[in-house]
Amino acid sequence: MRSERHLGAVLVAPAILVLVGVALLPILLAAGLSLERRLPIFDIAEFVGLANYRFLAFDPRFWVSLRNTVYFTIVSVSLELLLGLAIALLLQRSFRGRGWMRVVVLLPWAIPTVVSARMWEWLYNAEFGLLNYVAALAGLTTQPVNWLGDPFWALHAAIVMDVWKTMPFAAILLLAGLQTIPRDLYQAARVDGANPWQIFRSVTLPLLKPMILVVLLFRTLDAFRVFDAVYVLTGGGPANSTETLSIYTYKVLFQTLQFGYGSALAVVTFAAVALISLLYLKLMGGAYWRRLLG
Amino acid sequence: MIRAFLTRSGLVFLLAATALFCLGPVLWQLVTSLKPEPELTRLPPILPVHPTLTHYAAIFSGHPFFRIILNSFIVAATTTGLSLGIGSLAAFALARLGFGGKRILLGVALAISMFPPISIVSPLYLVIRALGLRDTWWALVVTHTTFALPLTLWILTSFFREVPGELYRAAQLDGCTPLGAFRRVLLPLATPGLAAAAILVFIFSWNEFLFALTFTTTEASRTVPVGIALFPGLHEVPYGELAAASLVVTVPIILLVLFFQRRIVEGLTAGAVKG
Amino acid sequence: MRRATRRIAVSLALAAILAGCARSEESSRQTSGPVTVIFKHGKIAGDPALFSSLLRRFEAEHPGIRVRDEILPASTDQQHQFYVISLEGRSSEFDVLSMDVIWVQEFARAGWIRDLSHLLPPHEREEFFSAPIAAVTYEGRAYAVPWYVDAGLLYYRKDLLDRYGFRPPTTWQELVTAAQTILKKENDPGLRGFVWQGKQYEGLICNALEYVWSAGGDVLGEDGRVVLASRQASMALDFMRELIDQQVSPAMVTSADEEATRRLFGEGRAIFLRNWPYAWNLFEREGSPVRGKVGVAQLPSFPGYPPAATLGGWQLGVNRYSRHPKAAEALINFLTSPEIQRWMAVKIGYKPSRKALYRDPELLRAQPFIASLYEIFLLARPRPVSPYYLMLSQVMQPEFSAALVGVKSAEQALSDAERQMSRILFGKGAR
Repeated sequence: MRSERHLGAVLVAPAILVLVGVALLPILLAAGLSLERRLPIFDIAEFVGLANYRFLAFDPRFWVSLRNTVYFTIVSVSLELLLGLAIALLLQRSFRGRGWMRVVVLLPWAIPTVVSARMWEWLYNAEFGLLNYVAALAGLTTQPVNWLGDPFWALHAAIVMDVWKTMPFAAILLLAGLQTIPRDLYQAARVDGANPWQIFRSVTLPLLKPMILVVLLFRTLDAFRVFDAVYVLTGGGPANSTETLSIYTYKVLFQTLQFGYGSALAVVTFAAVALISLLYLKLMGGAYWRRLLG
Repeated sequence: MIRAFLTRSGLVFLLAATALFCLGPVLWQLVTSLKPEPELTRLPPILPVHPTLTHYAAIFSGHPFFRIILNSFIVAATTTGLSLGIGSLAAFALARLGFGGKRILLGVALAISMFPPISIVSPLYLVIRALGLRDTWWALVVTHTTFALPLTLWILTSFFREVPGELYRAAQLDGCTPLGAFRRVLLPLATPGLAAAAILVFIFSWNEFLFALTFTTTEASRTVPVGIALFPGLHEVPYGELAAASLVVTVPIILLVLFFQRRIVEGLTAGAVKG
Repeated sequence: MRRATRRIAVSLALAAILAGCARSEESSRQTSGPVTVIFKHGKIAGDPALFSSLLRRFEAEHPGIRVRDEILPASTDQQHQFYVISLEGRSSEFDVLSMDVIWVQEFARAGWIRDLSHLLPPHEREEFFSAPIAAVTYEGRAYAVPWYVDAGLLYYRKDLLDRYGFRPPTTWQELVTAAQTILKKENDPGLRGFVWQGKQYEGLICNALEYVWSAGGDVLGEDGRVVLASRQASMALDFMRELIDQQVSPAMVTSADEEATRRLFGEGRAIFLRNWPYAWNLFEREGSPVRGKVGVAQLPSFPGYPPAATLGGWQLGVNRYSRHPKAAEALINFLTSPEIQRWMAVKIGYKPSRKALYRDPELLRAQPFIASLYEIFLLARPRPVSPYYLMLSQVMQPEFSAALVGVKSAEQALSDAERQMSRILFGKGAR
């Protein structure tokens, strides 16, 4: 219907205006920069085509950071989703103090990253940290564990911190999603004699898929580009074991001032994330798109 | 009877475990904020021997913290309002109206979220400066809204779509224009999604650091994360003050969430709508 | 409900627009009337009112110039990022900037800061320590004026050393022996031998170079070639690794920065500490467990070589795009003048960059500790003075860290670092 099309165009116009007007130009500029060798300190600004990408393909530090990032993302997002779902299911039931419980669950997400990263840094501190203290008290360790200074532990320490911080994001979205599932569907299933697990699998999960997808998409985007939290926690060390793609990009851009190469790294990060998103959307199938957009 | 008790105590156990997981580090922040400086690095004891409020006093006396919290609040509230306003209209169109390029729009929105912010902060700075918006709330509102819109679009489109088509069409048959049906039917039913989006956008804007650092210079527009980043001296890190500040700045968010979280639940009254 | 929310949002937006417009008018500076110089710097220690009073004094002595200082977060990374974004964008929004000693070369090469050689004629230059002067000089011209200096030094527990008859160590081996003996005899499970900063960040380079230099090694040779992968440097890095292996240093040094180690020593839980001078005041504070028990000395060295200390400190420069360069230079002259440097030393505890002040009677009386740092500051050496330094540092940091945690051997780490640095300096490694 023509009037519907007009109305539709008018209604999406502000969104398009904001997105394109503010973000598109800088993104295109950054993408363009990736094709240049741009070193402002040395007054170098020359077009080099795909040279930065060729260099990137053979840059060991890039591959290390990619590996760190992929590992971080997979473990983090899985844990966040599972925990978030579990907590959302928990919070859906009615009990006294449910409102407060929801606030409690949201707290980790609400605290500014710069602060919560320092907080975890303090918790993980080998000499003064609560974690080592409690572990020693419980008899789990004989020596203080070097959480942030050991190449193996550091990345996992970062993962735990990230899961703690972002699990509420998943919980709150999944809870909202659970709320839209009508009660009578559950009733009907129970009347049919299904046990809780079957109800979950056949009623809850399918109807929750749209929200799960949103959570997966955006959490993966964020985890893949994680910067602040890990940077404050470890700075990327020790020995680059916690250096994620964004941390490497940051150092290239703002420490070594290689704007061209840094932009190439950003574009590659973007491409990787885009690939993963496409994968998710493919997995969800065409039915999902039809359901989403009609 | 026993089964009821077991599920009840199981529930309590799970709730306690969840609360401990979420609250544990926060409670540790509380304890840290009450410990005087010399006690900060002593373990045992876990609890402060001489609890003190000096850290709380310090964060307000040394810095214009009230102003900073106000700035953050205005930026976050405006961002949330704008994002929801623009986002809900666009999401309605995406969910219910017929026109081409919907997938592209959602895809572009998502793509914009995929770019690492650090690589575009430099060009963005030039744009903001060209618009004369440096050191204003507007600079942050504009950038925050831009980066909050994709998430808002995806969440709201999803929710609006979940509202059954018959209701929407019924409202139209009753003589409502599409926008009228949107206001009367879709919005109320998608309240959980709106509330969830509102909370997430508000918190995102409240805690956003990179743009706030780059686009603001004075207390006129400084927001909370930058304010907190100004606590440490060149080498000294005042853990007590940081802990106190982190709790103080979380209070407005707690109040907000308490207000909104009821709406997440009060979405659908069972049966009356989908029946 | 939703309509109400949207109304609120619109009114808030309107309010924001109005407020925003009002403020951007305010912040654009007038072309007539007094000139306002904007001074950007990281947080100044101590009471902010003290520094403000200093700026007011400048204004009184220079009618027609007003100064507004804007603070940046203390984190050097964030300051550097801010300056890079602003200066690359040719911002005129600040006039005077305070720079870390390692940025001056790069900013000078980029043309982002003005030539200030006329503020430092030869006789004036000699008044300052030679190390910071070397750090601010690019191709023979001075691009910044050293404001205050910093250098690494050794803190030690006087009481513990005295108890077991040790004198402050002059060689690294002496330090190890003293630490091991005291650790064994004290038999305190909470006591650590020697703590220093080994986290993968700039501080690691500061620490590591002190070992490398005191072993006769260096990063860049006279001709600018990379000479890092030498036997001496290898020995130095191996030594650092052994400190951890032999538990003279706790494992946590590999993730420790200044504050973590300062707190450990300040709790009385370490015998030796390598840190910057700032920690002294914190150790001597009321209620500090180590008050009166702390001694300070030059860092030790390896036999046959003089000790070394890494130079820190901050320098004042003028933004190339500043609209009031003369006024900015006046401010810099003021802040780096002998009288004001003495005032800052006495009142705020800053370490002057002028040598003569260290024999000044008022300073000796009010801040004897600062006066005692003179010898150490004479030893201070700047990190490689080159516009490429930050790139070199980004290569060295992970390599040194890898050697410390045992991922690579010191020799391998150094040769990998040398290879990459050579490519940056002489090949097309800088992209």
